[in-house]
Amino acid sequence: MIAVTDITSSYGRRRILNGVSFTAGQGECVGIVGANGCGKSTLMSVLAGTLKPSSGTVIYGGRTAWSKTGAGRMHGDRDVLRTMTGYVPQENPLIPELSVYDNLRLWYPDHRILRQELEQGFLSLLGIDDFCSKQVSKLSGGMKKRVSIAIAMAGMPQILLLDEPSAALDLVCKEDIRTYLQAYLRRGGTVVITTHEESELALCNKIYVMKNGYLSQADNHLRGEALVRLF
Amino acid sequence: MQYLYLEIKKTIKLFPRMLLQAILLMMLISVIAFCGVKSMEREPLAVNVEIGVATKEDNWMTHMALSYVENMESVSQLCHFVQVSEEEGLSLLEHGEIAVLIVLPEQLVEGIMNGQNPSVDVIFPKDVRLEAMLFRELTESGAGLLQVAQAQIYGAIDTAKAYDLTERLSVIEADIDSYNLAFALDRLAMYDEEAVSATGRMSVLQYYAASGVVIFLFLTGMAVYPVMQRENPAFRRQLTRNGTGALWQSFCRWLCGFICIGLLMCVAWVLISVVTSLMPGVGKHLTSMLISGRNHGTLSARIGIVLLMLVTVTTFISMIYSIAGSKTGSILLIFLLSVLMIYLSGGFVPSVLLPQVMRAVGEVLPSAYLIRAFGGLLAGYRDGALGQSIAGMCIYTAVFGAVGYCIDWRKNDAV
Repeated sequence: MIAVTDITSSYGRRRILNGVSFTAGQGECVGIVGANGCGKSTLMSVLAGTLKPSSGTVIYGGRTAWSKTGAGRMHGDRDVLRTMTGYVPQENPLIPELSVYDNLRLWYPDHRILRQELEQGFLSLLGIDDFCSKQVSKLSGGMKKRVSIAIAMAGMPQILLLDEPSAALDLVCKEDIRTYLQAYLRRGGTVVITTHEESELALCNKIYVMKNGYLSQADNHLRGEALVRLF
Repeated sequence: MQYLYLEIKKTIKLFPRMLLQAILLMMLISVIAFCGVKSMEREPLAVNVEIGVATKEDNWMTHMALSYVENMESVSQLCHFVQVSEEEGLSLLEHGEIAVLIVLPEQLVEGIMNGQNPSVDVIFPKDVRLEAMLFRELTESGAGLLQVAQAQIYGAIDTAKAYDLTERLSVIEADIDSYNLAFALDRLAMYDEEAVSATGRMSVLQYYAASGVVIFLFLTGMAVYPVMQRENPAFRRQLTRNGTGALWQSFCRWLCGFICIGLLMCVAWVLISVVTSLMPGVGKHLTSMLISGRNHGTLSARIGIVLLMLVTVTTFISMIYSIAGSKTGSILLIFLLSVLMIYLSGGFVPSVLLPQVMRAVGEVLPSAYLIRAFGGLLAGYRDGALGQSIAGMCIYTAVFGAVGYCIDWRKNDAV
């Protein structure tokens, strides 16, 4: 489903990602952990297509998302990146002055599908229907994060990329998001998640540790201090 | 299109708040304009020339003549005579305490009456000041008048003798005297009246109306921040990822800003219209003072100029929001740049009163073209001024638009 090979990314002279490679299959969840500033969010931005990598290839479901052209330039296939992946960035991509429903309308062009999803689809699992008419600026952090996930799920992508989705959320919200992700994985979706939460790591089939831009696979059962020692 | 629809929806929702902020801004501008007009309304330049008069003898006729001259309205407004001795007068002249020293000879009046015409010495200081220059001009004019009068009298005597009309000479002399006295006593007959204004073709009211409108337009940029400030980076990148490019994002924000600023201007215009309709006398008077001159263009041309002004200002504001990024930074930058530009373009104090370098810079700033464009709508356009203003605004719009778009594109970091 996901094949990431030798991805590098630089910011000026500073190299952020150093030959990052990993794979993930259908229904699998990949967890990426690491200290702050180690390059996790940069990797997620590359996977989502909001940042151009310096080199490497990314393949989603057999379709090339990032690759080098004959001229040596990196080329991103916007269509593959958009249709195959849903991206939940750390900052919520919302218009605070508008209602939740208006925000969702931007990403769900077909209003009938949006209504259906809210009533009995994936979005009902997130419980968004309860606060759909509320203005985004008046929502709690957990509610906003749920709306962000709902936005990422527009177009029913096969891959969900989540950048620290549980940061600064209360326990109930974390549990709701975890439940939602479990349901998504059961339906055959693939999840790549960066997190500091052990409860979310429990969802993961593979855990990778990122340190100074290098990614290495860790023992899936490592937790707590033993895992932190790898950072 | 969905993004544009939502941006417009957001604009409509936030408009009342922006309107309130704009009203506060209008009040601020009104205070600035009031202070500006007050600072322009100065008393005419008052010149009071201190003149020393030294008489070589204590002659009552000389004193009487001097007192008569001093109390003449035309003289008393300008000059003040101080009786001094010649030595004292020279010392005062040297110290700059008097502008000029007049030394009257003995038997002055008697000499005038018996035709000896003794000369009067007028002594000016070495370093010539404004008062002395003025007095020199007046003295030379007076001497010129006396020469003409003398020539008239001699001419009349010769003519009377040639035609054997000497018995009518006293009548002719009286006529000449009355004519010359009337001419000499009426100061205005000596000078042409020419009004000089620092505001050029525009009256002070027109000038501050044009500046006020431009200041208002620029400062509304601070009130429209909810629609013109860039959305958070996550949102922008998500939009770009989904195919809504940086250009369309910038255009949508620009369009909403344009609508807002246009609506705020309309509201301001409606408010002014309502106030003036409630006081028809004042309204009529104000309109007659504001609109003058010729060559204002047709109605559609005038609407076009106002729209072009709105486009230029909106593009400028949009660029500032792109450059600054944050709300506080944008508002501060708009305020500072607007005030600076309008100051340099002579929006607060007419540019003729500014130093040469500042004037040269201010002439080519966008605010200068905007003030000229709106000023032309009130006072009429000089030949070529309209085209110059339109060209200036178009060039600045293109530059601001290109810079704003480049910054947006770079900041989006997208695929």
